[in-house]
Amino acid sequence: MLSRVAANLYWLSRYVERSDGILRMMKINYASSQDSIHEFTWRPVIKLYTKLEDEDIEKIEHNSRDVLLYMIAGKENPNSIINMITFARENARSVQDHITKDLWQCLNEYYHLIKDNKLISYLKKDDPISALDILIRQGMLYCGTAEVTMERGEGSSFMNIGKYLERSIQSADILDVKFGTINNDPDLLTDTSYWKHLLLSLGGYELYLKTYRQGFEAENVLELVVLNNDFPRSVLYSVNHISSYLERLRVNNNLSEIKEISILIGRLESRIKYSTLQSIREEGMHPYLYSIKKDLYSIGDALNIQYFAYS
Amino acid sequence: MSGANFLNKYELTSNTWDEMFSTEHNIRAPYQKVIDYLSKESIDDLNKKEELAKRLFMSQGITFTVYNSGEGIEKIFPFDIIPRIITASEWTFIEAGIKQRLKALNIFLKDIYSNMFIVKDGIIPIDMIYSCPHFLREMFNVAVPYDIYVHIAGIDLIRDSDGTYYVLEDNLRTPSGVSYMLENREITKRLFPDLLPQCRVRSVTEYPGILYKNLLAISPRQISNPNIVLLSPGVYNSAYFEHTTLARLMGVELVEGRDLMVDNHKVYMKTTNGRQQVDVIYRRVDDEYLDPLVFNPGSILGVAGLMSAYRKGNVAIVNAVGNGVADDKAIYSYVPDMIKYYLNEEPLLKNVPTYQLGNQEHKEYVFENIQTMVVKKTNGSGGYGMLMGYAASDSEIAAYKEEILKDPRQFIAQPTISLSAAPCYMNGSLMPRRIDLRPFALCGPNGIEIVPGGLTRVALTEGSMVVNSSQGGGSKDTWVLAS
Repeated sequence: MLSRVAANLYWLSRYVERSDGILRMMKINYASSQDSIHEFTWRPVIKLYTKLEDEDIEKIEHNSRDVLLYMIAGKENPNSIINMITFARENARSVQDHITKDLWQCLNEYYHLIKDNKLISYLKKDDPISALDILIRQGMLYCGTAEVTMERGEGSSFMNIGKYLERSIQSADILDVKFGTINNDPDLLTDTSYWKHLLLSLGGYELYLKTYRQGFEAENVLELVVLNNDFPRSVLYSVNHISSYLERLRVNNNLSEIKEISILIGRLESRIKYSTLQSIREEGMHPYLYSIKKDLYSIGDALNIQYFAYS
Repeated sequence: MSGANFLNKYELTSNTWDEMFSTEHNIRAPYQKVIDYLSKESIDDLNKKEELAKRLFMSQGITFTVYNSGEGIEKIFPFDIIPRIITASEWTFIEAGIKQRLKALNIFLKDIYSNMFIVKDGIIPIDMIYSCPHFLREMFNVAVPYDIYVHIAGIDLIRDSDGTYYVLEDNLRTPSGVSYMLENREITKRLFPDLLPQCRVRSVTEYPGILYKNLLAISPRQISNPNIVLLSPGVYNSAYFEHTTLARLMGVELVEGRDLMVDNHKVYMKTTNGRQQVDVIYRRVDDEYLDPLVFNPGSILGVAGLMSAYRKGNVAIVNAVGNGVADDKAIYSYVPDMIKYYLNEEPLLKNVPTYQLGNQEHKEYVFENIQTMVVKKTNGSGGYGMLMGYAASDSEIAAYKEEILKDPRQFIAQPTISLSAAPCYMNGSLMPRRIDLRPFALCGPNGIEIVPGGLTRVALTEGSMVVNSSQGGGSKDTWVLAS
C-alpha cells in the first residue's frame, strides 16, 4: 500500500474518532448544564479540546450555545467538528479507491449533514441535543459501515490503529484533566455527579454500576478507564487493539526497521497490563497518565517514520 | 398536467437538426418508447426524478469543486434526464469512422517522431509541425510499445443541420469525461426502471475492463502481475472524481507524483512495504508537468526522471508523451490527407472546413467574414480563448484580431456549424439545447475498440453552442441501440 494512502486512512480514522469523542463529551456536558443550580462552566472542555486563550474562554464559558457553535461549526477552531469532518472527507477523497463506496458515501453524507443550515439552527435556537444526536448517529453509521464493508487488509489495519490510538489518547487525556481539577478542588472527590458525568461522556457509566456496587470512588473510575479490558474506551483495551493491528501489519512486512514499533507497543502494553491501583498510587496519578500519553505519542511518531514518511 | 402536454410546447430550432423530432409533431422512431414512457409520468414525477438524479450525484460525491473566497463549493455536473439516442446503423458508421481516423493518427505520430515520411512527401509542411508547441523533440525515436501512441481517444463529433456527422476535434492527450458516461448510465437505471432493456440499449460497463486489458498488455516487463498505476494531479483537480472512479473500477493504484520516484531509470512507488517497481502509468497529468527535469521545472505534479525511464523503455506511459502534435487544431485540417496517405482510404467522417490563420489568404478571408466564424487557439481546450463571431461585439472582435496578429499560427477559424439540438427537461417542459458527442475509443495491441456509448455534452444556456463543462455545459446519458 502506498505510504500516502496509509497515512490518509490513518488520519481519516483519527478525525472521525476524535469527533465522536468530542460530540459525546458535549452532549453530556450540555445535559449537565441544564441540570445544575450553580452557573455551569464549559472551561475544562474548552481547555481540553481547543486552543482558545483564557480571555476568549471567559467570553463564552457560561453560554452553552456559543460553546457548542464554536466546537461544532467554528471554522476558526481547528478541532471543530466541521473542520475535522472536512479533513476526514478530504482524506477519504484522495483514497477513494481504498475504501468501499459505502464508506465514502457515509462520510460524504456526514460532510453534507454538518454543512446543512438546519443543523446550525438546532444549535442556535432549538434543541441542541437533536443536532448532537444526528451527528453522533452518523458517526456510529460510519463505524458500522467500516466494520461491515471494509476488507481486512492493510488499509483497515491502519484505520483501526488510528481509531484506537486516538481513543486511548482521548481517554487518558480526559482522565488526566478530571483528576487534575480535583487537585485544585478536593471537594469534587466526593461529588457524585462529577464522576457520573465523566463516566457518561466516556460511555462507561452502566459498566461502572455493574462493576462497582459501593458508589463513586475516584480510584474505581481510574481502574475502569485505564485497566478494564472489557470497557471499549479503556486505555488498556485500545492499546491491546493497536498492538494486534500493528502485529498484523508486521507479519506482512519485509522491512527490518518495523521491529522498533513492535518494541514500543509491547513495552506500553505490558506497562499498563501489569499496573495495579497500588502501583499507580505509588507512582502518582498524573505522572503515570503523563508517561502513558508520552508513549502513545511516540507510537504515532514511529508510524510517521516507518510507514508514512516521504523520503 | 400529464406528460403528453409538455411535448406540445416544444419548438424546433430553425436550420438545426433535432435529435428527437423530425417535424414539430413527428417524433423520430427510436425516441417513441422514451416519449411513451415519459407521457405516463406527471410533471411532479418528472421533477422528482430530476431531484433524485441530483441527490444521487451529490451523495456519491460526483462533484467538482469551485473555489470561491477560500471556501470550496461542491457543484454537480448538470445532468439532463432525457437520454440521447444513437441508432445501430448510425453507430456502425461512427465506429468505423473513428477507428479509421484513430488508426491514421497513430501512424502519423509514429511517423512524425521517426522518419517524417509525411513531411518528406509534401503532405504536411514542416513548419506546421515545428511551430506546434506540443511537438516534443524529446520523443524523437523513442520506442513506444506496439507503436501505440493514442491508447485512449475522445474524438468529438457534432451534427450539422442535415444530420451529417462532423469531427469537431480530436482529443488525443488526456481526454476526460468517461466516468460521466458510466455514471450517467447508472443514474438512468435508477430513474427509468425497465426502460433500458425495453429500448434494447447496449451496455457501456465494458469500458474499464477493456482499458485494463490494454494497460496490462503494454507492460515492458514480461511478468504475470505488472504494477499499473493511475497518475493523478490530486484532489484539487477538477477531474479527480474520474480518476478515482477509473482506478477503482480497474483495481489499479491511484498515485500522485509525490508517491513515485525514479532510481536508475526505473520508476518505483513508495509503499508501506518499501518501494515497488511500476510498469505502466496511465497518467492524467499533462505532458508539460510530467517530469520537471525535462519539461516545466516548476512542476510538483510530476516525477523527476520519468522521461529517462520512459525513453529507456522501462515504463509505459498512457497516452504517450507528445501526442499534442496530432490533436493540434491546425494539424486537424490535415487529418483527411493523413487518412488518404497512410491508409489509402477515403475518410468516412468529415472534417469541419478549417482556415489556417498562419496562411495569408486564409487570414484575409477570415477577417472579412469573421461574423460567420468561430476562431480558436490551436492548442486550447475546455472552450477557453474562443471567439464566437456571431455573438461577439465589434470591440471584442477588434481585440481578438489584435491577439491573432501577434502569432497567427496559433489560431484557426471554422465556419459556425449549427450543432444539433436535443430536447432537455427544464422547469417542467422540454426545451431544445445544442449537443455534441464524445465516444471513447481504446487502442490496444489487438486493435481499436469503442464501447457503444459516449458522453453527450449539452450547452444548457439557450442558444449557446459551447458545450464545455467549464462553460456552463451539462450532459445526457447516451444510448446506442442494438440492431
